[in-house]
Amino acid sequence: MFTIAGFKKAFDYIDLFKQGLICTVSLSFFTVIFGFVLALILAVMRLSDVRPFRSFGLSKDGREIEEGFRAAVGRFNPISFIAAVYVEVFRATPMLVQLFIIYYVVFANVSFPAYKIFGFIRADRFIPGVVALAMNSGAYLSEIIRAGIQSIDGGQTEAARSLGLSQMSTMRYIILPQAIKNILPPIANEFVTIIKESSICYTIGVQEIMYAVAATKGATYRIAEPLIIATCVYFCLTFPTSKIIAYFERRMSRGDKR
Amino acid sequence: METRDNVLISVNDLQKYYNKGTIKALDGISVDINRGDVMVIIGPSGSGKSTLLRSLNLMEHPTGGTIVFDGVDITKKKIKTPDGKWEKLDIDKHRQKMGMVFQHFNLFPHMTIMDNITLAPIKVHGVSKEQAEKTALELLDRVGLKDRANAYPIQLSGGQKQRVAIVRALAMEPQVMLFDEPTSALDPEMVGEVLDVIKELARDGMTMVIVTHEMGFAKEVGNRVLFMADGKLLEQGTPQDIFENPQNPRLKEFLSKVL
Repeated sequence: MFTIAGFKKAFDYIDLFKQGLICTVSLSFFTVIFGFVLALILAVMRLSDVRPFRSFGLSKDGREIEEGFRAAVGRFNPISFIAAVYVEVFRATPMLVQLFIIYYVVFANVSFPAYKIFGFIRADRFIPGVVALAMNSGAYLSEIIRAGIQSIDGGQTEAARSLGLSQMSTMRYIILPQAIKNILPPIANEFVTIIKESSICYTIGVQEIMYAVAATKGATYRIAEPLIIATCVYFCLTFPTSKIIAYFERRMSRGDKR
Repeated sequence: METRDNVLISVNDLQKYYNKGTIKALDGISVDINRGDVMVIIGPSGSGKSTLLRSLNLMEHPTGGTIVFDGVDITKKKIKTPDGKWEKLDIDKHRQKMGMVFQHFNLFPHMTIMDNITLAPIKVHGVSKEQAEKTALELLDRVGLKDRANAYPIQLSGGQKQRVAIVRALAMEPQVMLFDEPTSALDPEMVGEVLDVIKELARDGMTMVIVTHEMGFAKEVGNRVLFMADGKLLEQGTPQDIFENPQNPRLKEFLSKVL
């Protein structure tokens, strides 16, 4: 299984792991940013109150009709519908399929410049990887955010609206600050998941940590030792991430303590 | 003409139905609220008192009828402007003129007392932070909570929270204050301090609509009392009329239980 000599051999290729680490971190970093922005947009879309056919659901004296076909059309919210479809599709299909579709189909005819990020990460593989990961985690994160927003007591919205704050201001000053505090633990989970899931980008040739494992294996004919190294690297990434978020969680719960 | 001008909120044949009309929370309520009125609404639970109050600033959307506030029918989604154009009703504008105090206070737990009070004046009215805080401190002083400005809501007692909630609504300088059972969630020894604040507001001439179960308070502070049951307005009059000379059998029965 493991031998000291095997580790020695594997450590000859430690530069590959360093590169893999940098690649995994950047992959996760961009995924988190784009995924979170996408998730916020999706969550707001799902909770929006856009009703383009509203006037179809109004009676002659300008009042809303309560039931029936016209009421349903008047209530129909295409923005929310699109977001719901997006979330359901991305949560119901495998990540690997999504990644392949984005890399082999969507980006098939997109020619990237032969630019290498940090001098070694190939942009033509890295960018589709980030896009696929962000689109996937955006779907999951948006459900977390939506649940967080809906978990806030309705009295908070009522109080804010009774003061004359608009729906947007209520969301921004009252609901989101409280919701984000509540959803930090599941979000931390999702961020850790993103770091781990980014390893799937190995299948389209992004030079992250698993790519380093494969390269070392090919060069040394050793598999156990590179895998152990990869395991350690992943653990050192995810463990502090969850600890850092736990710290912010404690800091944000000021209002809860006497 | 002068009496018409004096009407601040005019409710006409207000209905609120649930479950396709099988439940009638409000069944044709008509009432005028004049400037300077302290109107107290009493009645058994489930009678529609809170629904009526919450309809006044459209926390509940009525099924039928009209609510004319400050000359505008706020139950309509679109209103006709004086020059004959149809425009979308901006309910936020009207809500700014109505303060509301809730049974469960609904203070914002992630903000200090000061921020709770100054948020709406700053964000909605565009008042400067200094001015808003100055006003907030004056108001807090009036309810005896000046020293708690930097505390968080969870650090306050129920009575203190409700006094802050009243101040928060007052900071928007409303034309009318709506109280939805302001003392029902309080420990008995804290009811008095909140009622005292409301009484002081009444003395200052604030227009108020109060849903309450405190009959002694209703008698003392109200100039008009409404009795509701089953979504209907069964009797209204001065506190003397209602409490000393009740006519409606439902009111007599109700008073015999609560007094």
